[in-house]
Amino acid sequence: MKKIVACYKWVVDEADIRVEGKARSLNFDRIKYKISEYDRNAIEVGASFNEKQGCQFLAVTCGANVEASLKDVLSRGPESIAYVNDGALEETDSSVTSKVLAGIIKKIGEVDLVICGEGSSDGYSQQVGPRLAALLGYASVTFVNKLELTEDGIRAERKLEDGVEVVELTGPAVVTVLPDINKPRIPSLKQILAAKKKTSEKLELAAIGLDSLALKQKTLDVSGTVMERKNIQINSGGMTIEEAAQKLVQQLKADGSLA
Amino acid sequence: MSNLWIISNTVETAYEMLAKARELVSDSGGSVTAFLNGSEYQAQEAISYGADLVKLMRMPEKTAWEEYVPVLVQEAQGQKPDIILVGATRRGKDLAAQLAAHLDCPCVTECKTIQYDGSKAILKRMVYGGLAEKTIECNEFPLIATVTGRTFSKWEVKETARQGTVSTLALPNVVKMQVVERRPKPKETVNLKDAPFVVGVGRGFSEASDVKLAEELAQAMGGEVACSRPIAEDLHWLPEDRYIGISGQVIKPDVYLAAGISGQVQHVYGIRDAKTIVAVNKNENAPIFQVADYYIVGDLKEVLPALTKAAQEVKGS
Repeated sequence: MKKIVACYKWVVDEADIRVEGKARSLNFDRIKYKISEYDRNAIEVGASFNEKQGCQFLAVTCGANVEASLKDVLSRGPESIAYVNDGALEETDSSVTSKVLAGIIKKIGEVDLVICGEGSSDGYSQQVGPRLAALLGYASVTFVNKLELTEDGIRAERKLEDGVEVVELTGPAVVTVLPDINKPRIPSLKQILAAKKKTSEKLELAAIGLDSLALKQKTLDVSGTVMERKNIQINSGGMTIEEAAQKLVQQLKADGSLA
Repeated sequence: MSNLWIISNTVETAYEMLAKARELVSDSGGSVTAFLNGSEYQAQEAISYGADLVKLMRMPEKTAWEEYVPVLVQEAQGQKPDIILVGATRRGKDLAAQLAAHLDCPCVTECKTIQYDGSKAILKRMVYGGLAEKTIECNEFPLIATVTGRTFSKWEVKETARQGTVSTLALPNVVKMQVVERRPKPKETVNLKDAPFVVGVGRGFSEASDVKLAEELAQAMGGEVACSRPIAEDLHWLPEDRYIGISGQVIKPDVYLAAGISGQVQHVYGIRDAKTIVAVNKNENAPIFQVADYYIVGDLKEVLPALTKAAQEVKGS
């Protein structure tokens, strides 16, 4: 029986971030957290292999405040979860995250297939999957939108800029999946209730052999991107749609925007 | 003295990164090595565009290009490059991240700018789906940074007198993946990047047949139709190569007209550099209006035909 792990990141919902003031600083006061959108596809892949082909399926995550995510993720299909929750992970980069996840996966042991989203919806560095593959000594198969299990490996279709590449391999692999691989479930009430009975295993950094977590990069600043736009409403003051359309086209012509 | 590498599976991006690499080594008199998926001729071109050494990494037939990683790890341990710029194609990003893990070094994905003074590097990149820009400092080398096409410009004039050496890298003896098939992308695909006027179709369209309203406007304006992700990936009303956003197309037209698009940051990422943004939406609080130069609040079934008519009058005059 194959053992499959899906990794996910508990991220801030970027829709709740407010950009404020002249310095365009970011306000996180009203922020909510969510399972990164792209990782929901990864979890769904694992859940589907678990339900249809009887694979063992676990979720894995790490962060400074991930315990709030456990019920949510377990309602999406994994049989259990293993995670590291440590204040030292308040600020991470792809290097640190992949080392912690690799540590957890090694601790679980004999994992045949690791599934990640193509990137996270906050940083979108798209590194954790391939970094994990390198750290675990697994094959790295990225940007996959079709995935099948074979007797001793996988067959995957990668969607690349110039076309599709179909690959086969034997042995363990880390696969990153694209959003169009499936439609992640919205957990049913039954699935939400069942999640409460599932097991979660908390691991300490020391238990996975990581004592120091040196960031490879220092963040000097994060500020809202400047988007200087005019914000002019064309049809204010009871103008008809026809008049507004003509006014807009004249305006674009006057701006020199029409070829 | 510093030693810079560029790695790319597309030659145009390689030439662009070479100009940047030459700029970054200029004060130190260092060397630039290009790892290129290309021909002997393109290797000579790379030298004219700034490379001192070219190592060809040809696309393997039976396995993935990213399987060169162990060879690059060995090369890096010998040559000790300070900065490695990698073309940020999907293959490039995979290879860059694997290489970074093996070398235990930082990697900055899709950097917009990079400065380097010989001891530290400052880079900028977008985060939160384009909502914010992050400034990063790296003091640890090698440093890997991936770069999308058209971020930097290649030299306007080649220096054909430049001399350099060319060699070919061999794949490792043992590879993990077998490529069983490659299906090139169909050719009829649209080139949104060169269209001066683009109409974006969003979820405000209630049915597939309404897309023709956008097509008629695009035609009247001499432009193309694009869309938001759900229109292509969930509803399949338009082909996938027409969707705009962080994981789709990034365009810079003269005018982008967002029709029935709410304005999620992931979509706005793809139109950030449009010269003018126009939005049409019936919801007067649609976030798209905050990033628009001009907007019309109204039903797109009325507004688009009116715009088409107005455009035809102007073009006809």
